[in-house]
Amino acid sequence: MAKGGHKKLNEFDFENPKLYINRELSWISFNSRVLSEAEDASNPLFERLKFLSISASNLDEFFMVRVASLKDMINAEYSKLDIAGMTAKQQLDAVLRDLHRFVDHQYNIYNDMLIPLLGKEELYICDPKNLSDKDKDYLSRYFDEFVYPVLTPMAVDSSRPFPLIRNKTLNIGSLLKKKEGKDDVDFATVQVPDVLPRVIELPQEFEDETIRRVVLLEQLIMAYVDKLYLNYDVITSAPYRVERNADLSIDEDEAEDLLKEIEKQIKRRQWGQAIRLEVDKSIDKKLLKFISRELQVDDSEIFSVNGPLDLTFLMKVYKLEGFDELKEHSYKAPQAVPEFDKGEDIFEVISKGDILMHHPYETFENVVKFVENAAVDPNVLAIKQTLYRVSGNSPIIAALAKAADNGKQVTVLVELKARFDEENNIVWAKMLEKAGCHVIYGLVGLKTHCKITLIVRREEDGIKRYVHLATGNYNDSTAKQYTDVGLFTCAPAYGEDATAVFNMLSGYSEPLSWNKLSLAPLWLKDRIIDLIKREEEHALSGEPARIIAKMNSICHKEVIAELYRASCAGVKIDLIVRGICCLKAGIPEISENITVRSIVGNFLEHSRIFYFENGGSPEYYASSADWMPRNLERRVEIMFPVENDKLKAKLWHILDTELKDTEKAHVMNENGVYVKQSAVLPEGSKKINSQKIFGDEASKAVGELNTQNSRVFVPEMNPDNRF
Amino acid sequence: MMGEVFAAIDVGSYEIALKIFELSKRKGVRELDHIRHRMDIGSETYATGRISSLHVDEMIRILSEFKKIMKEYGASHYQAYGTSAIRETKDILIVRDLIEQRTGIHIDVLSNSEQRFIDYKSIALRHDKFEKVLEKPTAIVDIGGGSIQISLFEKDTLVATQNLMTGVLRLHTTMEQVHASRLKYSELVSELVNSRLSVFAKMHLKDKKIENLIIIDDYVSPIMQKIRSGDDGDGFATRDEFNKIIKVADEMSDYEVAKKLGIPEENVPLLHVASTLIKCILDATKAENLWAPGITLCDGIAYEYAEKKDYIRSPHDFEQDIIACAQNISKRYMGSKSRRETLKKIALTIFDSTKEIHGLSDRDRLLLEIATTLHDCGKYISLVYLGDCSYNIIMSTEIIGLSHIERSIVANVVRFNHEEFEYYNSGSEFFDGLSREDYLRISKLTAIMRVANGLDRTHKQKFRDVTVSIKDRNLIINVDTSADITLEKGLFFNRAAFFEEVFGLKPVIRQKKLM
Repeated sequence: MAKGGHKKLNEFDFENPKLYINRELSWISFNSRVLSEAEDASNPLFERLKFLSISASNLDEFFMVRVASLKDMINAEYSKLDIAGMTAKQQLDAVLRDLHRFVDHQYNIYNDMLIPLLGKEELYICDPKNLSDKDKDYLSRYFDEFVYPVLTPMAVDSSRPFPLIRNKTLNIGSLLKKKEGKDDVDFATVQVPDVLPRVIELPQEFEDETIRRVVLLEQLIMAYVDKLYLNYDVITSAPYRVERNADLSIDEDEAEDLLKEIEKQIKRRQWGQAIRLEVDKSIDKKLLKFISRELQVDDSEIFSVNGPLDLTFLMKVYKLEGFDELKEHSYKAPQAVPEFDKGEDIFEVISKGDILMHHPYETFENVVKFVENAAVDPNVLAIKQTLYRVSGNSPIIAALAKAADNGKQVTVLVELKARFDEENNIVWAKMLEKAGCHVIYGLVGLKTHCKITLIVRREEDGIKRYVHLATGNYNDSTAKQYTDVGLFTCAPAYGEDATAVFNMLSGYSEPLSWNKLSLAPLWLKDRIIDLIKREEEHALSGEPARIIAKMNSICHKEVIAELYRASCAGVKIDLIVRGICCLKAGIPEISENITVRSIVGNFLEHSRIFYFENGGSPEYYASSADWMPRNLERRVEIMFPVENDKLKAKLWHILDTELKDTEKAHVMNENGVYVKQSAVLPEGSKKINSQKIFGDEASKAVGELNTQNSRVFVPEMNPDNRF
Repeated sequence: MMGEVFAAIDVGSYEIALKIFELSKRKGVRELDHIRHRMDIGSETYATGRISSLHVDEMIRILSEFKKIMKEYGASHYQAYGTSAIRETKDILIVRDLIEQRTGIHIDVLSNSEQRFIDYKSIALRHDKFEKVLEKPTAIVDIGGGSIQISLFEKDTLVATQNLMTGVLRLHTTMEQVHASRLKYSELVSELVNSRLSVFAKMHLKDKKIENLIIIDDYVSPIMQKIRSGDDGDGFATRDEFNKIIKVADEMSDYEVAKKLGIPEENVPLLHVASTLIKCILDATKAENLWAPGITLCDGIAYEYAEKKDYIRSPHDFEQDIIACAQNISKRYMGSKSRRETLKKIALTIFDSTKEIHGLSDRDRLLLEIATTLHDCGKYISLVYLGDCSYNIIMSTEIIGLSHIERSIVANVVRFNHEEFEYYNSGSEFFDGLSREDYLRISKLTAIMRVANGLDRTHKQKFRDVTVSIKDRNLIINVDTSADITLEKGLFFNRAAFFEEVFGLKPVIRQKKLM
């Protein structure tokens, strides 16, 4: 029960920085939750490897984007304080301090937990030096045949400067001394080639051997490093890895004034500046000094680790053949969506009523089919879609191209500014254009993040519009890993709005009014604030007031301040936020009525679902936007209501089950620390794993349908007459 | 069964808009899409009379995209109209041709009176409440950028219509020129508007009571549509309710108004001008009720097309409005009612009996009717130069519902009824802007008009029942009258010669004397 109606709402300064958590530190805390899955003994061993690998690749991205950004701010002498009142320097110091602890923790888990457990399963990551002669022979041949030809060792001396060490590459640095000559010590470096597999499995010693052994490529090169420098003695060698401020664009998360400030100082910005150096703990001090001096990194940026650098190789280990029993199988594969499982035409099905899909428990296939069917349906006149990130060999892209080829009017907005996907996106945007689609290459100054598809169809009754709105990208491969919701509808109000969205994306004026959708950056933030305020008013007048909001991140100060205000007014607020959360839960008198939980599990929680009690007639929304400044102010995003009672119940079930999760939920305590629920669950309590439950339910729903239909034969249709 | 998809394009002074409609007998007119692109060509053409190449390029780009969108909906027909900004462009023929060559879209130019008529028609066709509203004295106020049109209706009939140069953009520009502060804004706008309105009120309102005000505009209507939607229909408010709404808006900053109403902030000053303007008209007319049906020119274009193609039927007789308008003009210039009625009756009888010979359309019949109505308006100024004076009066008076060309046809027919006919290759300035086809229509209508006029030469309305038939090469006009028609018969030849020249038929009068 919410603590009620604080009378002196105006007394508090809800924007006091003390009430907020720094977003970078909050992110590190999120990555720690990912890491905790690697620690969690209830997870199968290989899944734990995977989580460790994910935490490492997350960290790489964090360095390149966020740490780089902090350094930009310091270089630009940007003095504005963050949401929690910290300067850039204070943030960077705190972040590096936390990250050192984090990395230490990663390697503790690797060395103390996972390696011994792998040993128990008879999988060993070996150092080539400790192997038998027979194995060494094999590796020597492997080295000569495959590795040596692609290596390019580079020496540094007075005539040859220190080479450019590429971002995120693994390298081996050596100190050398000429065999015949002076005592001068030279430095040489060689990149561990990324064209070769990093994990090399050794042949088994005898048949029926159960032991499996792998070596890492950098270890192999280290073992034969003297073959590279024939006229030298190798004094010492060690692997190292550098990360650079490699992002050519400035992170969109930053405030507008900062972007301007940095642009002004663009010449002073050091492109490709090294921001992190990873080395093995046992590296020779002289060698380390040389490398760190050349790369211009200071001590706080050097991460000495006890184990292999770049733990993302564990994903390769995960993919080794065999070991199936060490992987997760209790989560169901994506299930058919019952409404679509009756062999009817997809447009007919949607015409019967709105359909809400919960991915990945329910398959994404229907979304692909939606576009594929439209491409060949003679009644379809036009297809319009926004694309942010798509999979490598996307069936959606193929369908869009086919549609254009079939004479449909196809308009595609391709977001070229999707981070890390820029090049990829340009390639297939051009391909679509070639196929005859009208391609809009994003909008100036805004990222188009909304996920919307509109299909215009000519039917007996006239022109009809079919719309798909979603919280996740049109990416058939991530749709198997990310939890998202998507709505199919042909309600005219949504169709009109979807048309207006595409008109706006094509550069035309905004519509005179919207029926259902709220769009960022023009209206969404105000809409969210209004919805929160409405709950506040209801609470103050003694009516039921509650907000449940599920999203990836929340760090918009104005929105958080409004939530604090609502909490004070007595609104009960439950936030399900997987990633960054700058809001502090449980501050006396401020956020006593707010709970924050984060679910980090087998699937990446990605859907954004919002519930507002609205004095007893609840409203449900889903959205492509988090409550972050970038989403609400610098992106084109959509929030759409879900109005059908059955579908509302489905959303309620999602939120309710996640609020009850005991297995993968971490709850923020009043100190801002997340506590994993399974660790504090009283003995004998019922264990609830929401992701498993959703999978089981989807599977059961299909099962029920199959039983219902088991006495009915369904003739396959002639493929030519299908539409 | 499915109807057709129709596209309406409005090339306006500050916006190019496209609306896509689905037309069917079952569902009538259904809007599918509304696309607007802001482009201020008005301030350029009003000042220079030209459209810069930059704007022409932009128009070509937008219209090409519109063409794609039309294809997206499978639109089978379209109608593109240019309004005042296009009208005021000197090199319009060249620009239009260039646009047509590059985009395949042909733009027709609408005269002010045609545009107003289309606006008005679309309310009537779109809203079943129209007839009910019109049962009481009503004023339709069509607010444009440059001017406004006020049309008064009584008992479902148009009684007066007047154009006033108090358009929203024009007033706004004036306010900017005098650097009016926001606080003074409504006061100054009211002052400007009221001075013009008082003249209008003296001329047309006198002591008439106006009950309802129907508003067509781009700023207040969307708001009224949004906030006044309910069971009793969209966009209705009483005078007090409307005043309350604008009072609230007046007390907020532009930013707050924009946020609250969900409109672009740059539109807020124009909204203030428009609402002040409406308030002034409400006060001047003392209308109790306001209705902003929220229609645009594109709606009008679609309704007009749908009506023409029989997708919809109107309960209201629009031709009657045009005729009523002409009658009011005739009345203003002291035309004789009985004379015009007789003339009309005879002329239309001839027209209807000779359809196969003249091949003219129903629209031409309407023009003939208007020509008979206005046939003597010039006598108000001079009995000697009746033809020229009539011509000048007609050409300087707006007849709602008629295009510029149609008005020119009417004026010429009236003129040639009194003056000697001029031929197309005579280089007469009266044919400026008219095509060969228009010229032929003028000659045919003049021929009919002259015969009709000849039968009522003495203005005594001696012929009550006239029937017409064709026999051999004669147009036999049977008249039932007991009056002495010696004079008519004697002078008839002069009038009939032109008819014979045009149609190859010789008009002959046969008198059937009544007992």
